[in-house]
Amino acid sequence: MEDLPSRIVKKALALGCQDAVADVITNRSYQIRFARNEAVIGNRWRERTASVFFVYDKRVLTSDIKDLTKTDGAVERLVKIAKGSQQNPDYAGIAEGPFRYARTRPDLKILALDEGGKYVEAAVGGALDEGAKECAGSFWKYDVEHSLSTSNGVEAHDHRASLYLSIRALVSLESSGHGIACATKLSRFDPEKAGHKAGRIATLAMTPKPGKAGRFAVVFDPLIFGSLTDQVGGRLSAWAVLAGLSPFGKKIGKRVASPAVTLADDGSADSIGRKRFDAEGVPTRRTVLVQKGILKTYLHNTSTARKFKTKTTGNAGLVYPDTHAIFVKPGDWTRDELFSEVKDGLWLTNTWYTRYQAYVTGDLSTIPRDGIFHIRKGEVAEAWKDIRVTDNLLRMMKNVVALSDKTEQMMWWGEVSAPNFVPYALIKDVGITRSAE
Amino acid sequence: MDDGTEFVDFAIDYAGKKGAEYTEARYEHQEPESFILKNGVLDALDVGEDRGVGVRVLVNGALGFAATNDLAKGSIRLIVNDAVKVARASRRRTKIRFAQEEALAMNWSVPEEERLADVPVEEKIRGIAEVDQAVTSLGFKVAARYFQLSSNRITKYFANSEGSRIRSYSPRLRFFYFLTVVEGTDAEQTYRNYGWSGGWEGIRAWGLKDRVVEEARSMHKSLTQGKKSPEGKMDLVAGPQVAGIASHESCGHPMEADRVLGREASQAGKSFIPPDGIGMRVGSDVVNVVDDPTVEHAIAYYLTDDEGVKARRRYLYKEGRVTEFLHNRETAASLGTRSNGAARSVNYNLEAIVRMANTFVEPGDHSVEELLEGVKYGIYMKSFMEWNIDDKRYNAKYAGREAYVVENGEIKQPVRNAIVELTTPAFWSAVDAVGKDLEFEAGFCGKSDPGQALDASLGGPTIRLRNVYLK
Repeated sequence: MEDLPSRIVKKALALGCQDAVADVITNRSYQIRFARNEAVIGNRWRERTASVFFVYDKRVLTSDIKDLTKTDGAVERLVKIAKGSQQNPDYAGIAEGPFRYARTRPDLKILALDEGGKYVEAAVGGALDEGAKECAGSFWKYDVEHSLSTSNGVEAHDHRASLYLSIRALVSLESSGHGIACATKLSRFDPEKAGHKAGRIATLAMTPKPGKAGRFAVVFDPLIFGSLTDQVGGRLSAWAVLAGLSPFGKKIGKRVASPAVTLADDGSADSIGRKRFDAEGVPTRRTVLVQKGILKTYLHNTSTARKFKTKTTGNAGLVYPDTHAIFVKPGDWTRDELFSEVKDGLWLTNTWYTRYQAYVTGDLSTIPRDGIFHIRKGEVAEAWKDIRVTDNLLRMMKNVVALSDKTEQMMWWGEVSAPNFVPYALIKDVGITRSAE
Repeated sequence: MDDGTEFVDFAIDYAGKKGAEYTEARYEHQEPESFILKNGVLDALDVGEDRGVGVRVLVNGALGFAATNDLAKGSIRLIVNDAVKVARASRRRTKIRFAQEEALAMNWSVPEEERLADVPVEEKIRGIAEVDQAVTSLGFKVAARYFQLSSNRITKYFANSEGSRIRSYSPRLRFFYFLTVVEGTDAEQTYRNYGWSGGWEGIRAWGLKDRVVEEARSMHKSLTQGKKSPEGKMDLVAGPQVAGIASHESCGHPMEADRVLGREASQAGKSFIPPDGIGMRVGSDVVNVVDDPTVEHAIAYYLTDDEGVKARRRYLYKEGRVTEFLHNRETAASLGTRSNGAARSVNYNLEAIVRMANTFVEPGDHSVEELLEGVKYGIYMKSFMEWNIDDKRYNAKYAGREAYVVENGEIKQPVRNAIVELTTPAFWSAVDAVGKDLEFEAGFCGKSDPGQALDASLGGPTIRLRNVYLK
């Protein structure tokens, strides 16, 4: 079965396709969801799917073949359907291989891990030690293999394994905190630390008062700053720019953030989003997206790169180029120095429901959740609740005053879709609104 | 083609032998088809044929779930072993129980006047291209156009160890569009979602071309004539799209019993309504909000849920008071009641959890004109763009897309970015009259981990709110 992707590609070419890609994905992941301090369900998957991409006379078709015992018939059916589709004049082919790839291996200890209960217990224990009453979250062991073949000479394999835990700790409905643990090595996985962080924020957030509207200097915890940088990364997909779903259109070479902000996408560096290659088989690499506040490039596959008269950044998505992992260059402030700078402001720890009034302008709002704190003279004065950040993505990035000197890897269900390595960030003049009673 | 019976029945039998107290297995065969027409260019046609089996077991009061797309008895045996193993590993202190429900043996299907499978993809593309052409011929700049037509044909076979055996077939059609209208350096953006349970006849029922053109014209009018929305306390007449999103976000979500009980706390959040909140007042006497899977042609139509429980209409808020949570069998047992058939999953490979179906404000008897007539000064918000709500479903915001000033009952100039930012009780308590113009919009409702973006309908008639703070 190891030659399955190349067999699918050969079959598509034999049927008249000009380009073909087959990525056979084997998923053996395992998850424990927990709530009220104990497991609520364990989930395991045993799935093998061929994700395919065929181009017949500029007619582009994508599909997932689930029945791998009958791939020839499936390819025949799909190519027949492709012939009835419409040409895409913007389609510009897939990358020419073969390529050389970095040698990466998954941690054998993660692959051998068969039970995650003790990691859930460690995280919950950490949060309860801090005074939390109720914890919920997910533990994941990701174990996914990709075998890729393309009609342009790519034959590649990538075995990705990582551990992830997300925990929300609550003292009450309105007093909560969130913690994240991510690792590609079992020895570096620290769910207890994530539990402690969630629990500490939750206990600090006890008896919150209704927040006030206005403009504030805000310290963004890495999790919520990761939400912003994840928005930046996602909106830098060339596809999003073309679809009117981005405020970064026509801004290459222009200022889109403060000089404190340098941000890169890097699928080749160690992260739980690490990949040896993108969906066309192009080796992943570091691509600086924003350098000292100036926009350098969008994220591209071969077709969007042709449209923008540039080269692929190794971020295919065969249709939609996307981020692999975002790395924000740390600043030179300590976390404490950032807080000291705030005379009358806020510390936000998490958010969700980021929505745009207009993607092309970047006008948005997002709802902070978990600990929200009023900071006076660098210290937590009190916990707040029920506020909303109502601002603009570009404006907020331009208003970044300072970044802390260490980054943390963040990824979360709600708002951080890819791994983001982010520091604490101090942003000035952030718009805060609240609901009328 | 097999219908999964052999593998599902085998899973039930084998899990019993492995010590499961309860087992359910679900085979799904989904045939999705989707394309995006972006600025007149068809990016790619996506066609799938997805099938597999998921098994959920209850062992020693703990749940385990496992799934595979390899339809061979050896693989089914492996996933049953997996599910039993992960359940045993849970070591729960409190035992999960399921509410007692009758075993069902039934087949149901959604009729298609014109079978989705019989409509050539060329015809589907042509139909959407005509909408795109109509929009580009309007004489103003529609800078970005994004149309997506999707369909899915879902065949399921569900069985459980209590004797349920249910087969179903559900064809669904969706249309999504996103438009950017530009005037100088200013831009207005919008999106809409249409959904239909049934066949290709749905595309005619929507009248897409006229509606998209009408929307684009209103965007241009907002851009060229719209003023800043006034701020202060005034009346608000909210159209069906706004009533629909509010019913989904601040009525449906807080009434999901798994959220109320904390199972979703880390992801979708909790609820401002406590487990003993039945009877709590959250709105005025005229507010009735229901969730009903049995609304014909609504995108989330079904007759049995993914735990094999018969679907029925549920009153979430009745006469302004909390009435009935949405339940699956687990949450129903926890709160000492019966399931009301709200358990759903997006596919065979994910567990069924508590979900809304078609959620809407029950219509009243006012015409839109009558609702407007009673307004001395206020805003008529026909549709929205930006929205969000906190994770306890208490603080919501809806920012108008198409909105107008109303003076002495008459619609005046368009206004831009009118904002309703109210708590849930403040919003629903201000409603003094409800229209009869019920409309539905389709949505994808997100919840759970792994995320399950599921078909849902959001609906309502025009409603009138008195003396609320707008900005």
